[in-house]
Amino acid sequence: MANRIGPSDKMASQSGHAMIKDWINIPATLTSHDAVVLNHQELEQIAEAALLVARRLMETGSRAEVVHEACALVARGLGCDQVNLRSGYASLEITLDSGTNTITRMIEVGPLGVNYRLNHAIRKVVRRFRESSCTPAETVAEMTRLERETPRQPPWVVALWVGIACASFGRLLGIDWAAFIPVLAAGALGQAGRHILLRRGTNTFVVAAGIAFLSSTLGGLGARWAASTTVNLAMNASVLLLVPGVPAVNSQSDIMEGHPAMGSARAIFVIMLLIFIAIGVLIAHVIVGAPS
Amino acid sequence: MTVDLMHVLHQAVFGALAASGFGILFNFGWRELPGCAASGALALTTRTLGLEAGWNLEAASFAAAAVAGCAAQLLHTPFLRTRFGTAGNALAVAGCIPMVPGAFAAQSVFGLIALTAPQPHNAETTLVTTMESLLRVVFTIAALGTGLSITAHIRRRRDSFL
Repeated sequence: MANRIGPSDKMASQSGHAMIKDWINIPATLTSHDAVVLNHQELEQIAEAALLVARRLMETGSRAEVVHEACALVARGLGCDQVNLRSGYASLEITLDSGTNTITRMIEVGPLGVNYRLNHAIRKVVRRFRESSCTPAETVAEMTRLERETPRQPPWVVALWVGIACASFGRLLGIDWAAFIPVLAAGALGQAGRHILLRRGTNTFVVAAGIAFLSSTLGGLGARWAASTTVNLAMNASVLLLVPGVPAVNSQSDIMEGHPAMGSARAIFVIMLLIFIAIGVLIAHVIVGAPS
Repeated sequence: MTVDLMHVLHQAVFGALAASGFGILFNFGWRELPGCAASGALALTTRTLGLEAGWNLEAASFAAAAVAGCAAQLLHTPFLRTRFGTAGNALAVAGCIPMVPGAFAAQSVFGLIALTAPQPHNAETTLVTTMESLLRVVFTIAALGTGLSITAHIRRRRDSFL
């Protein structure tokens, strides 16, 4: 799209419309649209850019409401009159209107995770749409740049900190000091294993069951070796890295904010994940010989 | 009400460590990590004080989430916004993650599996314990979500995204 359509252009055209409407009596339905009517090709490019932003926000842990607001800001900033988004767990659909032209497009959404820095970098870009104009091509390029350049913590740092989190979580649950290091090690190894399996594209639920089994077994055996009196709690604490806290909170927020389908889908995901984690821990209990 | 300060301090320290660990897992930067730790410490301190005052887990979790949510809203004030950006809500969520009742969730699923065994041992007691754990999971997660959402929505403007 060669021409830039920014908020200032839209405001100028709207004020022009108001003057014409006052001077000659044109029905409101004909004057309410922006003077710049986008053709289908332009709408297609805007839909692609808006859906890309929405998809990345979904995949990095945003609530449905934030995704909807961001998508509307992007599409309106690029010149659309009307934006309608439908968010599902695995796909997003958008309908854009400009004058009498309308298009509907859909995009698949990848696995929903949490990536705070990328999420906030995208939000910053979206916020800029209010202050400056941009083309759809620039939006797509900016998204690609953010994905490429947003830093991630090194996997070994994540594994170490997840181990610390599991051991700390364990202390909150009541594990004794003897079980602290075994739980830390089990959590760290579990996170390392999860990272490898997810990079290989293994199913999320299979990963949850497998890592729950691995971490719980290592935590239990380690705690027993360290003469802990809280082997059972140590086995549970070792899998707390898998607890889907953000989806659980987002699920409720989505329902509260008027997206019950998305919220219900997230809730089902949480329940399924807990079942798979429990299966992994249950098998570990059988192997370690600790009562469940 | 007598407060065991050492216990409160213990919970706060490990709540902070757990929240920081989850912060790293969620790819928070090092700059935001102290905020994560503070949020976790604040939430766990509130919950522990609530439990010591005789509240049940759900009420204490709700209060803790609400306090963490209110603290997060303070980060949106102009002075603190320059330091933390718009990280407030995310920090509150990270601080509340250590209060997700993972152990109760595991217990409830174990209980359900035990109930479906060919000859369940002490079925009535298992059923009651399982239902208790299950309800605690549901109510505690609901309390956390509600506490976080209510505080976020009280301050919320129409264009909250900005």
